Amino acid sequence: MPGVENCLQEAMAIPGAIGASIVDYTTGFPVATTGAAPNEDHEAAAAGTADVVQAAQSRSLFVSAVPHDLLEDLIITTAGGYHLLRLVRTDFDSRLVLYVWLDRLRGNLAVARRRMQTLADELTTR
Amino acid sequence: MPPAVAPSRLLKQAADDGRTGALLVGGAPGGTVYLVRGAVTYAESAAAPGVGELLTVSGRLAARTWEAALEAGAGRGAVGHLLYEQGHLTQGELELCVLGATYDAAYFALGRPDAPAEFRDDVRHWLGDVVRIDPGALTRESRRRTKLVEDIFPQPGLDTAPVIPVTRAPRERVSMTAAQWELLVHADGQRTPADLAQLLGRAGYATVLELRRMAALGLIEAPPPATPDNPDFVRLPRAHGEAVNRVRPAVPAASEAPTVPIVPSGASPPAPAPAAVAVVPAQVTVASAPEAPARPPKLARRKPGARLPKEIAAEPPEPHPGADEVLLKRIRTALRALR
Repeated sequence: MPGVENCLQEAMAIPGAIGASIVDYTTGFPVATTGAAPNEDHEAAAAGTADVVQAAQSRSLFVSAVPHDLLEDLIITTAGGYHLLRLVRTDFDSRLVLYVWLDRLRGNLAVARRRMQTLADELTTR
Repeated sequence: MPPAVAPSRLLKQAADDGRTGALLVGGAPGGTVYLVRGAVTYAESAAAPGVGELLTVSGRLAARTWEAALEAGAGRGAVGHLLYEQGHLTQGELELCVLGATYDAAYFALGRPDAPAEFRDDVRHWLGDVVRIDPGALTRESRRRTKLVEDIFPQPGLDTAPVIPVTRAPRERVSMTAAQWELLVHADGQRTPADLAQLLGRAGYATVLELRRMAALGLIEAPPPATPDNPDFVRLPRAHGEAVNRVRPAVPAASEAPTVPIVPSGASPPAPAPAAVAVVPAQVTVASAPEAPARPPKLARRKPGARLPKEIAAEPPEPHPGADEVLLKRIRTALRALR
């Protein structure tokens, strides 16, 4: 039963991980952070993360195509890295996303994606 | 109350001194921020559902489970630890829930720099120390959240006034998020944002944020301009202080109105009467001017039909952390279970 700190430590153990955080995407606030952030600014990165999630979630029709469809994760690929956003589902009201920044060369997208799924699930289920 | 110090400054002072206790913030909605050795462990506000509400309204915990944990752990301030030790919640869930609830309540508690605040030492919350938050980060984030909603729709009155959906949408086509839909459906013209947040088990700030967005779209009535700061009560006496002086002279003149019935009786008497009337006000004006400041501006205080100021109509209950609150919460949880 990992806590928030533990979850982020495990996220940093994903091959190629440079930084990780848990972000409240209603407000764009980093609830917890570790490692590096783009431009060394976790708060700005969190605000950007929130924008992206909201754009996909409520400003686009992707998650409205089928009733009860849910956004699971978003992957942003840049020349230098991968930015992975995995929504953390809780039964109580919260809008959280687990963010991991991965080095493009050292990171393995498939592995990272599966590890993040496990981490997000473990954080909130027994 | 000591001279007004912004709640956030008081919080910083207490944190810098490494104190343990509670910062009580008055006003509407007000709130309480709990410190343990200079770090924030929890915050609560009437406008933000607490950990218990979030967990029970969502169905994550049965009301019975929550109540039992509260009963067993409240006395020694370990309700949070009990919940995950007994396997009702994962540590991650508990931490995320407490973090969310704390930042949520802090927005309401620290948002108004003019709210009366007081620090009481050695008050601890029954939840216990689940998380530790830097008070500076909490204050910064509260300020950022205030700016965020102000940028959307600068109308703070919306945060506390009853939510009234407009009866006719101001545009042909409206698109909204699921959260906005939920709020609109439950807004009955009486419920305030705080009521809606409690009812739906949603964060208070998230509720306020969506309501401001809807207000910006014209889907929600703007609150009456009198509501936010009770300007009816606060400003009118001063504004009318001057008006009273000017109106007063007319009153004695009016009281001499019995001269008017004389008018039909004859042509000659009316002639001096206007002269007298003209003189009297002049005298009264001079006489009444010096004593005017001493006169309480009672008459001008309220417009007919104006609402009683909140401070008088219903003074907000003094936040009183401890056994009473625990008891009240238990009663509320029990009542909810009966519904």
